[in-house]
Amino acid sequence: MLLQLNNIFKWVNAGGQRTFLLKDINLTVKEGEFISIMGPSGSGKTTLLNVIGMLDGFNEGEYHFMDESVHQLKEKHRANLYKEYIGFVFQAYHLIDELTVYENIETPLLYKKFKSAERKALVADMLDRFNIVGKKDLFPEQLSGGQQQLVGIARALISKPKLILADEPTGNLNSKQGEEIMELFKQLNEEGVTILQVTHSEKNAAYGSRIIELLDGRKVSL
Amino acid sequence: MIRNYLKIAFRNLWKHRMFTVLNTVGLSIAFAIAILLSMTAIFHLNFDSFHNNLDRTYLLYRTEQTPKGPESSISNPEPLTPALKEEIPGIASITRHLQSGIIGIFGEKEINLDILYTDPDFFSVFSFPSIAGDARQALQSGQNIIITQKIAKIMFGDDTAIGKNIMLMLNGVETPFTVATVLEDIPRQSSFHFDIIVNFVNNPAYSRQKGQWDYRNHEVFLTLQEGVSVETFQKNTRAFSNRYFEDDIKKDKRDGAQADANGQYIQLNLFPFKDWHFIRQINGRITGGKTFPFLIIGISLLILFIACVNFINMSVGINIKRLREIGVRKTLGAAKKQLFFQFWCESIIVFAISIVTGILLSKALLPGFKTLFRTGAVFSDMNTPVFLWGTFIVLLIVTLLGGGYPAFRLSKLNTVQTLKGTLKVQGKNRLRNLLVVVQFSIAILLISCTITLYSQLQYMQGKDLGFNKEQVISLPLNGKKDSQLVLDLLRNELLPIPEVQSITAADNNLGLGRDGSRSTSAFDFDYKGKGVNTNMLVVDYDYLKTLGISLVAGRSFDRNFSRDSLSVIINESLAKELGGQNILNTPLSLLDSKQHTVIGIIKDFHFRDLDQAIEPITLFFNRDKQLDYAYIKVNSANLAQSLSVVKEAWKKAEPNAEFLGSYLDENINRTLDREKTMTTLITCGSIIAILLSCMGIFAISLLTIAQRTKEVGIRKVVGASISSITILLSKDFIRLVIVAFLIAAPIAWWLMYKWLQNYSYRINLSIWFFVVAGVITVLIAFATLSIRTIRAAMANPVKSLKTE
Ligand SMILES: Nc1ncnc2c1ncn2[C@@H]1O[C@H](COP(=O)(O)OP(=O)(O)OP(=O)(O)O)[C@@H](O)[C@H]1O
Ligand SMILES: [Mg+2]
Repeated sequence: MLLQLNNIFKWVNAGGQRTFLLKDINLTVKEGEFISIMGPSGSGKTTLLNVIGMLDGFNEGEYHFMDESVHQLKEKHRANLYKEYIGFVFQAYHLIDELTVYENIETPLLYKKFKSAERKALVADMLDRFNIVGKKDLFPEQLSGGQQQLVGIARALISKPKLILADEPTGNLNSKQGEEIMELFKQLNEEGVTILQVTHSEKNAAYGSRIIELLDGRKVSL
Repeated sequence: MIRNYLKIAFRNLWKHRMFTVLNTVGLSIAFAIAILLSMTAIFHLNFDSFHNNLDRTYLLYRTEQTPKGPESSISNPEPLTPALKEEIPGIASITRHLQSGIIGIFGEKEINLDILYTDPDFFSVFSFPSIAGDARQALQSGQNIIITQKIAKIMFGDDTAIGKNIMLMLNGVETPFTVATVLEDIPRQSSFHFDIIVNFVNNPAYSRQKGQWDYRNHEVFLTLQEGVSVETFQKNTRAFSNRYFEDDIKKDKRDGAQADANGQYIQLNLFPFKDWHFIRQINGRITGGKTFPFLIIGISLLILFIACVNFINMSVGINIKRLREIGVRKTLGAAKKQLFFQFWCESIIVFAISIVTGILLSKALLPGFKTLFRTGAVFSDMNTPVFLWGTFIVLLIVTLLGGGYPAFRLSKLNTVQTLKGTLKVQGKNRLRNLLVVVQFSIAILLISCTITLYSQLQYMQGKDLGFNKEQVISLPLNGKKDSQLVLDLLRNELLPIPEVQSITAADNNLGLGRDGSRSTSAFDFDYKGKGVNTNMLVVDYDYLKTLGISLVAGRSFDRNFSRDSLSVIINESLAKELGGQNILNTPLSLLDSKQHTVIGIIKDFHFRDLDQAIEPITLFFNRDKQLDYAYIKVNSANLAQSLSVVKEAWKKAEPNAEFLGSYLDENINRTLDREKTMTTLITCGSIIAILLSCMGIFAISLLTIAQRTKEVGIRKVVGASISSITILLSKDFIRLVIVAFLIAAPIAWWLMYKWLQNYSYRINLSIWFFVVAGVITVLIAFATLSIRTIRAAMANPVKSLKTE
């Protein structure tokens, strides 16, 4: 078991009223799974992903990640946990504009205090693997959307995470580019990386081994 | 990691180069100004710090309770010092100190010298190291003279000075002195400046003053023994004062003075010598107010503050666009600390560049600065540990706050929201607005002060002083001839020239002449059983005519009256104290109880500086008395020409003496140097403050206008005019400036009110000073904003809408 959510509630208080963003979510993810999360816009998919990625907190319930009880951890430890084990891929790629492809991929290693030589080797491997060696000195704005997302994934993978959280990774891409990304995810999953992706496309969802449907912050079992 | 921080920092600074430049320029100016100003402050604060016993060294002054209130005086009688040394415990060394000008002669050379008459203890109290000879030892003998290295060079060139004889013109007689000691040149930061020193007993008044407790003419400095407190000393002197000043005390009691808290009518006090450089007498009280250096430091801090506010506002403004980057970095594992350092790094770079440019700029500005503010400060003055540490700490704090604050705010933001880009940075505008308000308050405050100071200065310069200052040349009689003789020579030479109207002389100057010497003399006398104090001035014929002082009653000293040596002219202030105009022709018992007759009453005129009220004065006529200044009234369109005519006449009369003549208005202006320096300082401060503040709102306006491009586009499509949009975009800022005005005006009013209290003759504070300051600020701010707002307002709306 990689992670487990027990009765997770998340709400916001707006105008004296409590609005639930997540209601009673229970979820267990085993290592090596490839899960697709679906649901209409505003149903809480991103919120759920952020909770799992520990970027966002929750109000009630328990969250276990590997052997740790996330709900009991201090923020600093939580940050260390996701820094160590989780990689994020975003719909809008979220590459850092001021950094080259190479530097974007390198950044997580800097924060994990890798030595310069190690960083070079790891980034070089990654560039090789994604066939973007020729683009390493370009800035994000000089790349196509698909290429940017490739860099985004390369950056998420560089620190060898156990879990990849991808929020509509193909949302901004055309179908051919999207297909390539999904193929890549499939391949990664086969190599043992656990993947949780949010998607609106049935076709992409089908790449996963399991689909979770959300509606108004509630998990709808299929 | 550091390399990475730097790399990103430089890329970002380059990307926002417009702001980087604005920031660097602003901060550099602020740093340069701060360096120059604090250098000046340090220069003044460090005055006299080279004396070894500084902490224990004091000036002795006495405070006397008079019917008009306590009056302090630093002038003392001759026997006081020996008596104190004898009777009061706790004094390590004590010395009398009388400084004046004298003519020194060596062979053909005839030089005007600053002479100090003092006791051997002078060299125990103060630390003026000698090059040759033992100074203390030398002063034991009345025939020895101590000279500075500079004078040795002038007098003897490369020859040894020790053992040579110098003649001094003492009481009109050439008296020989033997050089026994050569002193190192006097440090720049010394309040004492003298060329030669001889024993106190040589001073020209010595025979008159010896043993006299009522003839006061010199200062007394002393060093207390270790562990003796000022309070103890002052307490110890009470019985002493009561004994030796018995006569004075009797008079004070008779005239109805109130004793002080300790029951004393006369109290000897100590004033710390380290504050001697700042000593002033305000309303009879001795104070060592360090307003000027602290004002300077205050202004430099305010300017630094303004520049830092600009920096904070700009970096928060710019980095708000980098929220997404912050979020992404957090998901990539950046800890708060690391984010903080990344942003801080950018600040540090800007600050480091600014500090370096600031230092270079201040070096470049130093010569101009020195002439503008008449300061002798140089960079090496700052090589004191206190100052260097102080600077380091100030820079650290400035960099930490200015650079760290935005970094801190940004690094703390919520990850999810920054990623979404929906984050409204709460309170950001409130803080920004607050800072802008404070900035402009400072600017308005300084501008109001500028206007007030300038008006007061104008007022003082333009004030009718009761005498003609435009066309009268004051000429120090610094030659070795007898003054009456010189005066006759001048009269013979000059009076035939049509443009010279009249010539007179007196034993004191008006204003501050080029000889840099000033003195006051005053005495007490009894009239109808009451003590009266008056200043005294010995004048020659035509004094009133030459200076254009008007008579209220009676007549002036006149060549047709032979007995005028026992006549006096008094001013209205004195006449009032003596019972009005009836005093005319009444005999007064003055100076050694000789009967003098009042022959004339003159209108009050300002014989002292304008910060002092006009006091009673008595004019004597005494052709046996040495007069020190000639006054020549000219009537010509070409004042410079007239001055050179006078100079020629002087060269004929006194070929060896330097010509130091100057017009009286120049002399009066010289007395206003302090005010002028202060006005220049505040003016510069306010110009820089308003400049930097405007740079700040300009930058902010760039940022906000960029955010509101779409809104402007929509408004224009809907039909808004260019002017209405300009106003819309400027409105918020102008509102802040107005708030700043409401805050600054009362503070400025209060400060200026306090400051003006220092002047007996002052302008009335007008509300207009502050309104003008406010209006100027609003206009400048509006003009600055218009540079961008009008452009934004005129931009093609279709374009701005498309960019969204
Ligand atoms: N901080 C917040 N305060 C109030 N409501 C919020 C907040 N964050 C999210 N929501 C609301 O929670 C709901 C879920 O948002 P979320 O972004 O998770 O939806 P989503 O399923 O990812 O939608 P989409 O498919 O459009 O990305 C939305 O209705 C949103 O308005
Ligand atoms: Mg979403």
